[in-house]
Amino acid sequence: MSSSPDFFLVGLSHKSAPVAVREKVALSGDDLKAALLDLRNAQGVREALVVSTCNRVEVYVYADGLEPGRRFFLDRTAAADGHLYERAGREAVRHLFRVAASLDSMVVGEPQILGQVKEAYGVASSAESAGTFVSRLCNRAFAAAKRVRSETDIAKGAGSVSQVAVELVEKIFGDLKGRSVLLVGAGKMGALSAKALRDLGCDRILVANRSPERARSLALEVGGQAEPWETLESLLALADVVIVSTGAPNYVVTRDLAAHVMKARRQRSVCFIDLAVPRNVDPALSELPNVYAYDIDDLQKVVRETHQARAEEAIRAEAIVEAEVMGFFHERETRAALPVLAALRRRAEEIARSEAERTLAHVGELLDEKGKRSVEAMAQAIVNKLLHGPTARLKEAAASGDSDLPGAAAELFGVEVESPDRVRAPRPEVASAREQNQ
Amino acid sequence: MSIQVLRIAALFYAAAATLYVLYFARPRHAALATTGQWLLGAAFLIHAASIGLGCKEYGGAEFFSLRGGLVTIAWLAAGAYLVLQRLYRAPTVGAFIVPLILVVIVPALFLTGPNLPESLSEKVRRPVLTLHIVSALLGVAIFAIAFVVAIMYLLQEREVKGKHFGALFSRLPSLDSLDKLNQRLVRAGFVVFSVALVLGTLVARHVWKAAWEWDPQQVSSLVVWGLYGALVQLRHTGWHGRRYASLTIFGFVLVIGSMVALNVIPGATRHGGSFQ
Repeated sequence: MSSSPDFFLVGLSHKSAPVAVREKVALSGDDLKAALLDLRNAQGVREALVVSTCNRVEVYVYADGLEPGRRFFLDRTAAADGHLYERAGREAVRHLFRVAASLDSMVVGEPQILGQVKEAYGVASSAESAGTFVSRLCNRAFAAAKRVRSETDIAKGAGSVSQVAVELVEKIFGDLKGRSVLLVGAGKMGALSAKALRDLGCDRILVANRSPERARSLALEVGGQAEPWETLESLLALADVVIVSTGAPNYVVTRDLAAHVMKARRQRSVCFIDLAVPRNVDPALSELPNVYAYDIDDLQKVVRETHQARAEEAIRAEAIVEAEVMGFFHERETRAALPVLAALRRRAEEIARSEAERTLAHVGELLDEKGKRSVEAMAQAIVNKLLHGPTARLKEAAASGDSDLPGAAAELFGVEVESPDRVRAPRPEVASAREQNQ
Repeated sequence: MSIQVLRIAALFYAAAATLYVLYFARPRHAALATTGQWLLGAAFLIHAASIGLGCKEYGGAEFFSLRGGLVTIAWLAAGAYLVLQRLYRAPTVGAFIVPLILVVIVPALFLTGPNLPESLSEKVRRPVLTLHIVSALLGVAIFAIAFVVAIMYLLQEREVKGKHFGALFSRLPSLDSLDKLNQRLVRAGFVVFSVALVLGTLVARHVWKAAWEWDPQQVSSLVVWGLYGALVQLRHTGWHGRRYASLTIFGFVLVIGSMVALNVIPGATRHGGSFQ
């Protein structure tokens, strides 16, 4: 038996590497499966998991060393050198838990990452690179992430400008079905917000831009329809949400224009979201009844508050993750000690039973029922007393991470034990992970 | 006897109010609102029993006192809110209306029963009078809920316009849903109130021998009716939002204000207790 394997992580993320490096190593679909197979076949690797998102690529291996993980990156691009971080054992486990709980994300608490880790585990399972260790680890990581989400407010609030915009629009209009959005100008954040609103049911997206070509290409991008710039006023009378992000140095929507438009729309509520700097919407619009106007500072203030609140929640989340990491190792080590204990007890009880039988065969006729039972009880009591100390010591050693003692005990008492990690799970729980994903 | 039962009902109202307010503070726990609704249902039934007993004890005289009127409005508001909850699911409204109901009921617990021991003259004991009383009180109860929803609208509008995106912002429903709910309530209340007015005229013709007497109660009722009628009508011309909510609040203040004033000022009206 070679030295016992450990768990290693080699990876890079938005914290360590620029996107130019990340995009060279990011993988998905069949490429990811092939990479997992390569890893699985590498010398000394028993199990492997690759988490690849646009913000991170991380290779986890249950192996004799982390070299295969390093090679994964350096074989793909030499540029990865210097951007990689490496973790081993408990540190690597904690890292995976933190990633799944969205504590390592660019926007802490964002909800997508858990699904992405679940997907990574699903791929690893179908490529048969996830065995017992990775399965147990992942399920524990998912449980930890779930606890973090339900026991802390880390996912509460709007984490990005477009999310804040969506939340505001929802508080004004409630159900977004049947609402229309007018996108004025070609800012990136504006397009993002428009898309988010469309996903929530706004079924009509109008795009107005000074350049008709830009309007057309933007309309294509957000799934809306391009409208001529000259019709802006009538478009304003139509739309419920107006997202403005042009490069104009002055107000595109003035108070007078808005007052005029409000008459045309018979006072139906309208929400202006001004993402431009310098501002394109006159802040005095808010004074008009049923007109709601926000600029980029308003939205960013909310984002900052959310981040601050999440940073506070993250402290509680870290404690949960830490407890889950400890729980994972505790469970694993107790499990490692269990076969030795069971074998030991089985052996001892066998001896007690056969010795009691032998004694009773000799002197059984001299004893009544009560006497016979006393002999059996005595044999059992000796076994229990004798094993009490070793049992407690073994459990204690396992819990504190001492993995030598169970082996020594097996050797000392001469019992055969199969290592639990060598046993491959018949079929890891991919299906359940997928279900949770939906 | 009826007052003892009312005390039990008040306990249930208090429990329901507590749960609705807790739900408002902790919207993650949906069970709070569900339990609150059950307790409110129980309070409504117990309150109904108390009203039934009261009718036996006082022969219906208590409906002619301010106390009896307010307590019955509270009861009908609870019932109307339960119906509303079934139709439109608005658990956050409960955190506002149920405490208001409690505020009306609690003083009634310490006041003795109606001080109109003399039995009602046979002249006024007619089904049309019963219907008039029930529809008038139900109309006011619906206006009370509209009043609460309008207050919620103004609170939320202040959050949304003032860019405070705090606890109220995230807990109160959207402006649009509050506005629509308000509109529906105003419309329903107006219909019921109109029925009450017509029935009241019939009663007046029978008892006072004249449909219109320029009685202050008649005048104030007509003003209220006109105001809510205008609200229903203005909706078609695009009126909504802040102004609509403010008018709803004003309307309710007018209803309750005139009801209290006409009952407190002796001899102000021939309506109600001081008939003959």
